[in-house]
Amino acid sequence: MVDRFLKDSDLAVVTAAWARDFRVLAPVREGAAIVYRLFSEDMHPFLLRPPTSSAKEAILPQTENLFTYKYRKDQTDLTRTEVFLAEALPPEPTLILGPRPCDARGRHLLDRVFLERGVVDPQYKAHRAATLFVTVACTSMQNTCFCHWTGGALDDESGSDVLLHPVTIGGVGGYVAHAVTPAGEKLLANLPEAPAEKLAELAARRAATPEPEPAPDLAGIADAFLAVFDDLDFWTDQSARCLSCGVCTYLCPTCSCFNITDENHGMSGRRLRTWDTCMSALYTLEGSGHNPRISRAHRLRNRVGHKFSYHPREFPEAATAPSGCEFSCTGCGRCIKSCPVAVDIRQIVLDVLAKAAEKAPDKAGGAK
Amino acid sequence: MNANNPYIPELATIIETFDETPDVKTFRVVLQDPAKMAAFRFEPGQVAQLSVFGTGESTFVICSPPTRMEYLQFSVMRVGELTHRLHTLKQGDPIGLRAPLGNHFPYQDMQGKDIVFIGGGLGMAPLRTLLLFMLDNRADYGNITLIYGGRTPEHLCFKDELKQWAERGDMRVELTVDNPDAAWQGRTGVVPAVLTELAVRPENAVAVTCGPPIMIRFTLEALGKLGFKDEQIVTTLERRMKCGVGLCGRCNIGEKFVCVDGPVFTQAQLKGLPQEF
Repeated sequence: MVDRFLKDSDLAVVTAAWARDFRVLAPVREGAAIVYRLFSEDMHPFLLRPPTSSAKEAILPQTENLFTYKYRKDQTDLTRTEVFLAEALPPEPTLILGPRPCDARGRHLLDRVFLERGVVDPQYKAHRAATLFVTVACTSMQNTCFCHWTGGALDDESGSDVLLHPVTIGGVGGYVAHAVTPAGEKLLANLPEAPAEKLAELAARRAATPEPEPAPDLAGIADAFLAVFDDLDFWTDQSARCLSCGVCTYLCPTCSCFNITDENHGMSGRRLRTWDTCMSALYTLEGSGHNPRISRAHRLRNRVGHKFSYHPREFPEAATAPSGCEFSCTGCGRCIKSCPVAVDIRQIVLDVLAKAAEKAPDKAGGAK
Repeated sequence: MNANNPYIPELATIIETFDETPDVKTFRVVLQDPAKMAAFRFEPGQVAQLSVFGTGESTFVICSPPTRMEYLQFSVMRVGELTHRLHTLKQGDPIGLRAPLGNHFPYQDMQGKDIVFIGGGLGMAPLRTLLLFMLDNRADYGNITLIYGGRTPEHLCFKDELKQWAERGDMRVELTVDNPDAAWQGRTGVVPAVLTELAVRPENAVAVTCGPPIMIRFTLEALGKLGFKDEQIVTTLERRMKCGVGLCGRCNIGEKFVCVDGPVFTQAQLKGLPQEF
C-alpha cells in the first residue's frame, strides 16, 4: 500500500466525498471543547488537537434503541392489550475522522467486552463492522498522556483504518495518509501519492521525536490492587476530591458500562441503551436500599480496579502493555485532563503499587 | 432467550396472579408462542428479566422448578418503579421475559446428601425452586430440612405449601417469626437462632441459604459454629442488574459478574472474591 498525501486545504472536500458514502463524524470546536458532530459541507474538521471526547460514540452510541414496542388494544375486549416488538434499525456505514491512536486502540478493548467476553452484542457488532476510523497520529505527548504505559504510541496503527501523519513544515501542510486496512485503502484511492520529500520529512520528524519518560513497571498491578482492596482508608484518601461527576467514564475510550431504560409515548415507545457511569451511587443501588458501593471510595476503587486489575485478570492471555498484560485503559489521559478536581489515575496506580509494597514488601512487583 | 439478540424479550402472558404477603405478589406466566414454551429449558436457581414495556425490566428468580413446566412462576416484592407497575398487572396481560439467565444451584453435587434450606422473607423464592425440584426427585437426596422465617406470620411466602411440606412426612419444616400474632403456632425468634437450637449436623450435608443480608451474615456465623465448611454452604447474591448477560457492567464483583457467574455461589467462592457485596 503506497502512502498518499492529503493537503490540509483539501480536507473539507475529501471529507465531503467520504460523506457521500458514510455518515461522517468529524471533530469541531465548540467553546473550549472539541467534539464530534455529523459532518456537513460548511464544516471544517479540526484536527490540530485531540478531541475532548473519545471516539467510542461511533461504535457505542451514547444513546441508542435496543428495540421499539407498540401496545394495541384488543377491539373485541378493550381490557386486553397485545404488545408488538420491532428490532432496532441496522447502523448506517459510518466514518469517524480525527480520533487519536489511543482512541483507535480503545476499539479492541470494547471488543473484549462486547464480542469476546461471552454473549456477543449484536448491535455493537453491527456498529463495529459498519465503522471506519480515520485516525490522526500524534506528534507529541501532552502532559496528561500515558499511552506508552499501556502499550500505545504516538503513531500506533492498531484499531485504525487510516492513519494520518501530520506533516506541516516546509511548504504545503497536510497529512501523509497511510492505509492500515483494505477499507482504509479504498478511502484513499483518489488521493495523490505522497511526495518523497513529505515522506522524508515524516521520517525525519519521527526520528527526532524524543522517547517518553520510561513507563513504570506495572506487571504487579493486578495483584497489588487486590492487596489494597480492603484498605478503605487508602481509597477514601484517593477519592477525597472526587465529585462523582462521571466525566472520566463518559470521556473514556474504553468505559463501556450502560443502562437500559424505557421511553414511553402513549401506546408505544422504545427501550434504550445509554452510557452509564460506575461513579454514580445509583449505578449499584438495589431495590432493597442496599448499595454495595455506597461511597465515592468504593466507586473510584471499582473504576481503577476494572481498568488495571479485573480486566487483566479476565483476559490473562492478552499482553499488549509493556508489562506483559493488558489494561482496560489506553492511556489517553482524558480522565485526567477533564477531571474538574484533578484526580489522576496514573498517581492512583502508582500509589496502589507503593501501598501494596508497604503491606507485603517481599511480594510486591512495585514501581521501579 | 432470543438467539439473535439477547436484549429482545420473548413475549409472555400472565395466566394467574395472587398475593403471597402484603407486599409480595406471585405471577404465573407462559410464553405466548406454545412451541417456545414447550422448548423452554432452565435449571433451578436461574433467573429471568421481566419486562413491562414502558417501565423497564428487573431480575427475578424463576421460583417454579423445571420439573413443573405448565408455567413459570415469579414472586415479586413491591419495592421500586418496575415492581409497583408489575403489581398492577392482571391475568391476561402481556409481559416480556428474557430467560434463562445466570448459573444454577449445584444440585448434581448435592445428590445423596442431607439438605438444609435456610430462608428469610422472599429469600424463600429461589429456595422454593430447588426444594420442589428435590421433592420431585426425592430419592436422590437425604434428609431435607427447611428453616424459614419472616417478620410476622403474614409475611411468610408460600403459606399453603409450607403446610403441605410440613405434612409430607419426608421432610422437616421449622417456621419462625420475629413478631407472632395470637394464632401463630410456630417458633418465635430469628432464623440463625433456630438453626443453632436445632444443632443441624454438618456431616454429609449442604446448607442452602437465601434471605436479607443481615440474616445471611448471622446464618453463616451459625453454620460455621455448627461445623459447616465454606464448601458446604450455598447462597445467592442480590445485585442490581440490567443486561443480564455480563455486558452492562454494574453487577461485577472483581472480574466476576453476578448475572452470569452467579447468582448462586458457595461461601468458599465468595471468600475468594473482593469483599464488595
